[in-house]
Amino acid sequence: MLAMSGSSKDRITNLQAAVILVNYILAAGILTLPRTSVEKVKTPDVWITVIIGGLITMIAGVIIVKLSQRYPEKTFYQYSGEIVGKWIGGLLSILIIAYFFTISAYEVRTMAEVTGFFLLEGTPTWAIIMPFMWIGLYLIIGGITPLARLFEMIFPVTIIIFLLVAFLSLGIFEFNNLRPVLGLGVIPVLKGIKTTALAFLGTEVMLLLVAFMKRPEKAVKVVLIGVTVPMVFYVITVVMVIGALSIDGVTTRTWPTLELMRGFEIPGLIFERFESFLLVIWIMQIFTTFTITYYAAALGLSQLLKKDIQPFIYALLPVIYVIAMIPKNINDLFHMGDMVGNVALLLFAVLPLILLLISRLKKGGKA
Amino acid sequence: MNTQQLRRLLCSLSILILLPLAGCWSSKEIENLGFIVGTALDLEKKDPDHNGHLLTVTNQFVTSETIGSGTKDGKTQQKAYKNISETGDAALPTLRNMILRIDKRAFAEHSKVLVIGEELARTLNLQQTLDFFIREQEMRPSGLILIARERASGTLESKNLVDIPAFQLIEMTQGHDRTTKILPPMTLTKIQGKLQSGSSFLLQSVSSIKGEIKFTGAAVIKGKTNKLSGFLNEEELEGITWISGKGKGGLVRSFDDEGLPIVYEILSMKSVIKSHVDGNRISFDLIIESEGRIAEHWDVSEKDFENGYLKRAEQASVKEVKRLIRNVLNKMQHTYQADVSGFGNKLRIEYPYVWEKVKKDWDQTFSEVPIRCEVKLTIKDYGTSDH
Repeated sequence: MLAMSGSSKDRITNLQAAVILVNYILAAGILTLPRTSVEKVKTPDVWITVIIGGLITMIAGVIIVKLSQRYPEKTFYQYSGEIVGKWIGGLLSILIIAYFFTISAYEVRTMAEVTGFFLLEGTPTWAIIMPFMWIGLYLIIGGITPLARLFEMIFPVTIIIFLLVAFLSLGIFEFNNLRPVLGLGVIPVLKGIKTTALAFLGTEVMLLLVAFMKRPEKAVKVVLIGVTVPMVFYVITVVMVIGALSIDGVTTRTWPTLELMRGFEIPGLIFERFESFLLVIWIMQIFTTFTITYYAAALGLSQLLKKDIQPFIYALLPVIYVIAMIPKNINDLFHMGDMVGNVALLLFAVLPLILLLISRLKKGGKA
Repeated sequence: MNTQQLRRLLCSLSILILLPLAGCWSSKEIENLGFIVGTALDLEKKDPDHNGHLLTVTNQFVTSETIGSGTKDGKTQQKAYKNISETGDAALPTLRNMILRIDKRAFAEHSKVLVIGEELARTLNLQQTLDFFIREQEMRPSGLILIARERASGTLESKNLVDIPAFQLIEMTQGHDRTTKILPPMTLTKIQGKLQSGSSFLLQSVSSIKGEIKFTGAAVIKGKTNKLSGFLNEEELEGITWISGKGKGGLVRSFDDEGLPIVYEILSMKSVIKSHVDGNRISFDLIIESEGRIAEHWDVSEKDFENGYLKRAEQASVKEVKRLIRNVLNKMQHTYQADVSGFGNKLRIEYPYVWEKVKKDWDQTFSEVPIRCEVKLTIKDYGTSDH
C-alpha cells in the first residue's frame, strides 16, 4: 500500500494523465469566470483573453513537465531536495502541500455554497461537505489508479452534458453582444490575462503526475491536450454567457454561468431546469479537483516524511474541513480563491523555471 | 463490555444512521404548495405617516384545489386561480406578510410573469423595484416583464373562470411571430444588461379593459433614470419592429389610389443600420428589406397577374412602412428623446471609440441625429386568387 512511485501497479496511461489534468483544471472557476474576466476586461473580447490565458498556462505546464522529466519516476517532493538541497527543498514541498490542501478546501466550500443556495436550501453546510469528503477519502485510499479510472468515467459525461446545455441556450444568444471584436484595442484584453490564466490552475499536478506515467516522455503532449480541452470549455462558456447576458449584465451576477442556464425555457421539452444538469457535472468536476489535490497533499506528506500514506490521508481530512469552514461569507470565499491563485502564480509559474535553470546548471537529473 | 455487546451496540448505531437516509431533507408536498405563476407590482398613494413609497404586491396563486375546480364537468364553481394582494414598503417583507393570508406555502419556482404598474414604473427606478426578483434564487430569471397601463393587478384578473391570466399573458407574447405589434419577450435575464448599460429600452405594455387583457404597444424606459417615461402605441410599435428588423410576420395595410385597402403580409424582414461618423457629426442609414405577399385587396378590377399592378401595390406598402418609421422616429427623437431601437448599439459596434465619448448623453445626442431611411418591399405572390 506504499504509494511511493516505483511500485508497478501505480501506473497511469497518458490518456488517463490527460483526463486527470482536464478534470483538475475544470472546477469552481467555470461558474464565475465570465464575471471575473469581464470585470477586468470590460469589452466583449474576453474570449480572446481566455485563449491567451490558456496558452500561457500551456507554457507554464511545459516547463513543469521538462523539470519533472529530468528526474524520472520521482515526484517533486522527492527531487526538489536534489536541486536546492534538503532543507530548501523540504520547505518548498511543504508550501506546495499547503497549497494543495488549501485548494481542496476551497473547492469543497464553493461546492457547499452553490449547492446550499441552488439545490439543497436549508441543508446545513456541514451535512453537504461531510459525505462529499468521506467519499473522496474512500476514493484516494486506493491510490492514483482508482482516481484515474473514476476520472475517465466522469470525463465523457461532463463533455456531453456541457455541450448539450450550452447549445440549448442558443435561443437567448445575441451575436451583437459579442461585437465589436477588439473595438477598444488590445489593452483591455491584456488586463484580464491574469484572471483567465488562474482559471487554468491545475498544470502543477504534472509535478507529481509525470512520475506515475507509463510513458513520461509524452508528458508535453498530455499538457497540451489537457489544457486545450478546458480552453474550449471556457471559450464556449464566456461566449454563450456574454452573448445572452451582455457585458453589462454579466458583471452583476454572482454565478453568471448558472444564470445563463436559468434564463431560458424550451417549451415542449420534458425538462425545464437546465441548470441542474450543469450543476451535476459541475459538482463532479469539483469532486475530481478536490480528490486530486487531497491526494497530492497526502502524497507529499508521506514522501516528505518517508512514511506510509494512509495515516496522512486521514489526518488531512479534518484539516481540510476546518480550512473550508474559515471563510465567513461568500466574499471571503472569493478572496480566498484570489489569494490561493496569487500563491499559485508564484509557486508554479516562477518557481519551476528557476528550478529548471538551477538543475541545468548543476547538470542534475537526466539531461 | 464484552465483544458481543459492543457488536450489538455498533449494529444498532448503524441502523440509527440509516434512518435519516429514508427522507429528503427539505421536501415539500405538492398539495401544500401555492404556486406563484404571476406577480403584479403597484405603487400605492403616498401614505402621510410613511416617508417612503408603499408597494402593493399581488401574487397569482395556483394550488391543487384551484386547478381541480376550474374544469370539473364543464361546470365551474370557482376561479382557476387565486390572487392575493398585500401592501408594504419593500417586496420581500410584503410577500412574507402573505403567509398570514394563505394556507399554502408560496412557491415561486414556476413564476412566469411580472407585471409592473404604470405609476410604480414612473416613480421608482426599475433597478430598485426588480432588485428582489433578480436576487432571489427561487424566481426563475426566464420570467417575463411587462408594464401595465394603469394598475398592474388588473391584468391578473379574468372574467373567465377557467383562464389563468398569468399563463394567458405568456401565451400572448408568442404572438410576436405573427404581428409587428408585439415586442420580442424581455426576460429578467435580459433586463439586467439593459438596466446596467444605461441605455433606453422598451418593455411590452399591457392593459386591462373590462376584465380583458390586451397588449397595447410598448413602454419606454429611459436609460438614465431607469424609469418609465411614456408609451408607444401599437402603430408606433410597428415602426419599431420595422427598424429592428426582428419581426417574423405581420401585416402592412395601405390604400391604393382609389382608397381601397391593400394588405401586404410580411414573409421576411431584414433591417440594416449603418452608422456614419464625420468629425463630430453622427448620422445613420436605415435600410429595410422585406419579402411578402398580397393577402387582401378590395379592388376587384385590378389584375394581380400584371407586374405593373404589383409594383403599384409595393409602392403603396413602402409608403406606409416609411410613414410608420418616420412617425416613431419622430416620437423617439423629439417626444421622448430616447433611443430604444438599437441605433446606439450599432454605433458602439462600428465606432467603439466614438461611442465611449457619446454614450453618457446618448439619448440627448440621438435626438438631433439625422437618420436616412430606405425601404424595399418585394411582393412574391398573391395567394391562391386573382379575384
